[in-house]
Amino acid sequence: MMDLAVRDIRHDLGRFVLTALGLGMLLSVVLAMTGIYNGMVVDATVLPDTLGADLWVVQRDTKGPFAESSRVPLRLAERLRAVPGVSRTRGYVSFNVQESGPDGKVQRFMLAGLSWPDDTGDRLQLAQGRPLRAPHYEIVADASLGLPLSTQLRIGRDLFTVVGVTSGMVSSGGDPILFVSVADALNIQNDLSNEALRLEGEARLARIRRSEYGRDPASLARAGQPGLPALTPPPVNAVLVDLEPGQDAAGVRERLEQWPDISVYTLDEQRGLLVRGVIDRARRQIGLFRALLVAISAIVMGLIVYTMTLDKMHSLALLKLLGARRRVILRLILEQSLLLGLLSFFVALLIGELLFGQFPRRVLVADGDRLSLAAVVAGISVAAGVVGLRKAMTADPNQVLAS
Amino acid sequence: MTTPARETVLHAENLSRVYGEGNMRVEALKPTSFAARAGEVMAILGPSGSGKSTLLTILGLINPPTTGSLRIGNVQVIENGQPRTSLERQRRQQIGFVFQRSNLIPFLTAHENVRLSLELDGVSSSESRGRARAMLENLGLGKRLDSLPARLSGGEAQRVAIARALIHQPSVVLADEPTASLDSGRGRQVMELFRDAAHSQGAAVLVVTHDHRTLDLVDRILEMEDGTLTERASAGTGAHT
Repeated sequence: MMDLAVRDIRHDLGRFVLTALGLGMLLSVVLAMTGIYNGMVVDATVLPDTLGADLWVVQRDTKGPFAESSRVPLRLAERLRAVPGVSRTRGYVSFNVQESGPDGKVQRFMLAGLSWPDDTGDRLQLAQGRPLRAPHYEIVADASLGLPLSTQLRIGRDLFTVVGVTSGMVSSGGDPILFVSVADALNIQNDLSNEALRLEGEARLARIRRSEYGRDPASLARAGQPGLPALTPPPVNAVLVDLEPGQDAAGVRERLEQWPDISVYTLDEQRGLLVRGVIDRARRQIGLFRALLVAISAIVMGLIVYTMTLDKMHSLALLKLLGARRRVILRLILEQSLLLGLLSFFVALLIGELLFGQFPRRVLVADGDRLSLAAVVAGISVAAGVVGLRKAMTADPNQVLAS
Repeated sequence: MTTPARETVLHAENLSRVYGEGNMRVEALKPTSFAARAGEVMAILGPSGSGKSTLLTILGLINPPTTGSLRIGNVQVIENGQPRTSLERQRRQQIGFVFQRSNLIPFLTAHENVRLSLELDGVSSSESRGRARAMLENLGLGKRLDSLPARLSGGEAQRVAIARALIHQPSVVLADEPTASLDSGRGRQVMELFRDAAHSQGAAVLVVTHDHRTLDLVDRILEMEDGTLTERASAGTGAHT
C-alpha cells in the first residue's frame, strides 16, 4: 500500500517544513527550559562540589555559608585541625563584587577565598594557566568574565593578576567566580579607609574608658598605642574540613556537633541546602514554565494536525467512498502527526546545538533530557493524531456525491 | 471481478428509502426493483430532487435502504434493508465510481490515483503499478502518469477517474453526471469509454445524467420522478452488437 501520508506531505512540502520549523522552535524553548533548569542546579552546586570538602563547619544554628549568612573566626580552622580524623582545614570566604573592568564595563562576580597555601586551587579545573603560587595579588578567574591570562584587574585598592582561567565556575546566581587567597579576600571585604581605621581606634579607646579597665592608666596607655591593630581579625564564612582517608564523616560530625559555637554539614547536605533552598523558587518556576510550554506545544500541535485533517476532509471522504479500511485513514493521520513531531524534534535539537552555547547562563541538556523530550513529543504527536483522527472519522462519503 | 457477459450483475428488489417519521415522513425512493446485466450501459434521467442521488447512494452502498434487497455480482449485499456483508469491502471490490468533477485525490499523481483503487484492496504495489500504467496508456494518458490532478485538463482528469473506477474490474460502475463539465465531443468520448469498458469487462454501467446528447450510446434508459423509477420503452443506438 502506497504511503499516503508521505505523498500528502510531498504535495505541500514547504508548508509542512515551515510548520515543523515553528513547532521545533517551540520545542527548543522546552528543551532550553530543561537545560536552564539543569544548569541552575549545576551552577548552584559547582562551587561546593569543586572545593570538595567532607564537612562544612559554619556559625551555630545557621545554614551557611550559601543559604544563610555565617561568620566564624578563622582560628576555628586550627581548633578543627586538632580533632582526630581531620587531615586538613581551610577557611572559606565569599562575597559578591561589582567592579569596572579594563574596558570600563561593569562586571559582577563572586569573590571566593582559597586557603593559601593549603589550598592553591589545585582542585579547580583550569582551562588555562595555573593555580595560585603566591599568597597575594593573584587571581584564578572564570572564562565567562572574559579576562585573559596576565590581565591586571583592580579590586578595592589592590591590583591583581589573572594567573589561571576556569570554565563553568559560577555562583548559584550565575555570576562568574573569581578565586583569590582568603587573606586577599578578607582584605578586600574589610578594606577601610585611614579615617575609618582612626575612628575605629577612637571608638575602642572610648569603650575601654567606659569599662572597668578605663580606671587602670596602664590599660588606657596600651589601648592608645598606634601599633595595636584597630580591628579584630575579620571572620570567615565557614571552615572546610577534609578527613583522613577511611574516616567516618558521620562520627567526626557527631563529635563536632557537640561544640556549642558551630553547625556542621556534609557535602550532600550543603548541596541540598543550595538546591532546595537558594534556588528552589527559581527551579520550581522554571519547572512550571516548562510544564506550561509542553501543554502549549500539545495544544498547538493538536490544532495543526486538526487543521491538516480539515484540509483533506474531501480526500478522506473520497477514500471512504472507495472503500478504504479504517486503518488506512488511521495510518494517514497518525503517520503525518508523528512525522511532524519527529521533524520538529530534530529542529529543536538543531536549534539547541546552535544556540544554547550562546546563552549567558549554563544550559545543560543531557541525553536523558533529549530522550525525555522525544517521548513527550511522541506522546503529543499521538494525542494530536487522535484529535485529527476524530475529525477524520466524521468524513462522510455522501459529501463526495454532493460536491 | 469479471462477470460473464449478459449475466445479471445487479439485482435490486423493492429498494426504498424513507426519511423522518409521522408528519415529517418523506419517501425519497419508493419501492424500486430492477436488474442490470453485464456489459449493459443504463442511463438514469430525472429532475433534481426526484430521488436519483438517493438511489445512487443505495446502489453505491454508501447509505442503506429502508427496505428491500440488493445483490451485486454473486453476493447478496443487502437483504430486507439489512447489510449481509461488509459494505465497505463490497464497495472496494464490486463498485467503481465516477463523478461530475473528477474527484481525484489532489496529492496523488494520475498513476497513483489509479493504483489506489487496487492497493486499497490489497493488491501489491508492483502489480498495481503495471496494471495502472497499462490502463492509463490505453486511455491515451501514458505521458500524464506523473501529473498531479491540478495539472490535468478536465477531460484528462475525467479519463483518470474512469481508469480508477474500472481498474479493479468492478461488477457495477456508478457514474454521476460524468459528462456535465465536458464539451459535447469529450462527453461522447467518455460515454464511449463506458461502453467499451462495459463490454470488455462485463460490468454494468449506470449513468445518472441530464445530458441528452449521449443517450444514443446507452442500452437502457430509466426515468426517475418523485421517487419512482420507470423504464423508457426504447433507448438509443447503444444496443450490443
